[in-house]
Amino acid sequence: MIKKKRLATGALGLLAAVVCGLSAPAVAVADEPDQPDRESPKVELVLDVSGSMRARDVDGMSRMAAAKQAFNEVLDAAPDEIRLGIRTLGATYPGKDRETGCLDSKQLYPVGRVDRTEAKAAVATLRPTGWTPIGLALRGASKDLAGGDATRRIVLITDGEDSCGQPDPCDVARELAAQGTHLVVDTLGLTLDRKVREQLSCIAEATGGTYTAVQHTDQLSTRIKQLVRRSADTPVQTPTAVQGAEECAKAPVLGAGLYNDREGFGEHRWYRVRVAPGQELRASASVGADRAVDPDYGVLLRAVSQRGRELVRGSEAGSGRTDVISTGLRYPVAEGREVEDDTPRTVCLELSQSFSAPASVKRTPGLPVELSVNIVDAGDPPGDVAAFGLGRGWVLLAVLTVTGLLVGLVWGWLARWRVTVWRTN
Amino acid sequence: MRALRTAGAAFALCAALLAGAPLAAADASPSASADGDDGPTEAGTGFRTATAIEQGQTATASASAGDYLYWVFPAAAGQVPTVKANIKLPEAQARHGRTTWRLDVYDGLRRRQACTSGAQTATAAPEDASLDLGCRIRRVRPWSEAWANEPLPGSYYIRLTVVDLPEQDLGLPFTTEVTASTRDTGGAHAEGGELSPLTPAVRAGATQAPDAGASPDATESPTGSPGGDDSSSDTAAAAEPDGGWGSGWWSDRWVWTVAGGALGALAGVGGYALSRGRRSFRRPPAAE
Repeated sequence: MIKKKRLATGALGLLAAVVCGLSAPAVAVADEPDQPDRESPKVELVLDVSGSMRARDVDGMSRMAAAKQAFNEVLDAAPDEIRLGIRTLGATYPGKDRETGCLDSKQLYPVGRVDRTEAKAAVATLRPTGWTPIGLALRGASKDLAGGDATRRIVLITDGEDSCGQPDPCDVARELAAQGTHLVVDTLGLTLDRKVREQLSCIAEATGGTYTAVQHTDQLSTRIKQLVRRSADTPVQTPTAVQGAEECAKAPVLGAGLYNDREGFGEHRWYRVRVAPGQELRASASVGADRAVDPDYGVLLRAVSQRGRELVRGSEAGSGRTDVISTGLRYPVAEGREVEDDTPRTVCLELSQSFSAPASVKRTPGLPVELSVNIVDAGDPPGDVAAFGLGRGWVLLAVLTVTGLLVGLVWGWLARWRVTVWRTN
Repeated sequence: MRALRTAGAAFALCAALLAGAPLAAADASPSASADGDDGPTEAGTGFRTATAIEQGQTATASASAGDYLYWVFPAAAGQVPTVKANIKLPEAQARHGRTTWRLDVYDGLRRRQACTSGAQTATAAPEDASLDLGCRIRRVRPWSEAWANEPLPGSYYIRLTVVDLPEQDLGLPFTTEVTASTRDTGGAHAEGGELSPLTPAVRAGATQAPDAGASPDATESPTGSPGGDDSSSDTAAAAEPDGGWGSGWWSDRWVWTVAGGALGALAGVGGYALSRGRRSFRRPPAAE
């Protein structure tokens, strides 16, 4: 294999030199980090325009004024590759009727390339008005962002808990995250109220987002800018949705790459991977804690042969606050005895976790699972533990010296004896 | 890997020659400067989105208490990685009590690696302004049995988060600085064996038909080959360290072994002289 590598080294080096010599511009293009096939990420800012936003407690400004100022700065700083939209909640209905007030969420600016003047003008018209239907707004925002394969992010800015009760925004968030659309909800709370904090951090936790308690205007705009920019920086590839089976025989066959799945409490999920002899399977799994779970938990990933024999396992346990618990395993498939035998072996992967949750916590959808499968050439086990079998240390020197001395002595005696024998003859 | 490095070096050289220094500086190759001042200013929020940093580079991030921050850095065989984090806590008057922070190190297979020294977990008193965390993991081995969880060459993830805090303090802003450095253990621990680095898959997977007799080629994905073509341009894959993933062929074991051989040879000559006696060097009196 080493020889092959050296050959490849030479070939690639030569190729590089040739390309370099022939076409300098091509090099510049090859160095560009841009990925043309990447769909630009979508972000929707969801702003609470409920009556309580009138309160003047953000650096002496009203919450609404602070939000508007932040929005203007964000719109100015938004990277061009991002498609941005704005949705409001509680912006139109000032009345007391709960039912009407709880349907009050509308798209202020459609998701797309931002026309900064237009978007700013739209934001400027907003006046603190109505109710706080967060759950509804989240659903609406998810619809606004639908379509395509881009990464999606909702940034929710609010100063109050959901005043409508149904649907529960936290459940809505988890439901949206489970739809497999790679949606992340980041929340920003404009008050330090306990209920608001609980609800917003629950929404963030359910989707793998973040929660920020905002106290100053500059903090608000910096954080929104950071979140918007983060969308542009997220990796190109989103995992492929897959559904593990209850037994190996029915399990989906995975190639190398990233996958996600949902696994309920107490469930076992099976997957299959084909690995050719001389290759090594590498699999990692993380199970996310997207809701309030009990403080002790664990995860177990087993590689099992088709006959049910365990090959190798990875496990991890933990306690306390966490976002995910993860483990991994690697399994090299030995070369067959016959040289031509390169039919891939099927390795089954079984994933289970020991999360538990208080009775009040919803069980569906299951916990988010991320699987990473890689198939690489198996490594070379060392013939000797030491590098190249070389020795080291004073004992080695002493042993070699004494050995040399002894051999020299014996050789000398032999020589003397030979001379004596030759003389007598 | 070596092939790629050579090609990469050739490209970088070529780019520097033809297009001037800026292009070479923009190149994301591991040979880019690792001075530590201009590291990334954002952290990832999960394994998949972890921000790649180089050895010795200082990464900064601002976040909210309760966030999980992820970085990823490369480590080669024979190195002992140490991760240090300094957290500038939220302002003291906004906090309501003691907070406990934790630094975790995971390998490229997302297996947690034990810290052999350093304060992995630390608690900040209500009046503290900053907090230091550190974690040194075991020496990275060039090869290990599949059944062991020894640290192996490849990517290492850093996760920083608050694990215990008063409920009111959730979401308060903090900033942090994280550095990942490594120390070479030298020839005393030079080992044999080779393994393709534990770098994570960064592409979406594709399921295969359950009954298709897939050929080995089909199972090998773009990221499957060690160091796929564009692994360095993807955010989650840590760039290969300057010296490559392996510890290289050189170690001071060569010096010891060669010195041992020389000493043995000298001792041999000495021993011969001793036992053969002085007369032995005179010509035998054949003519007498």
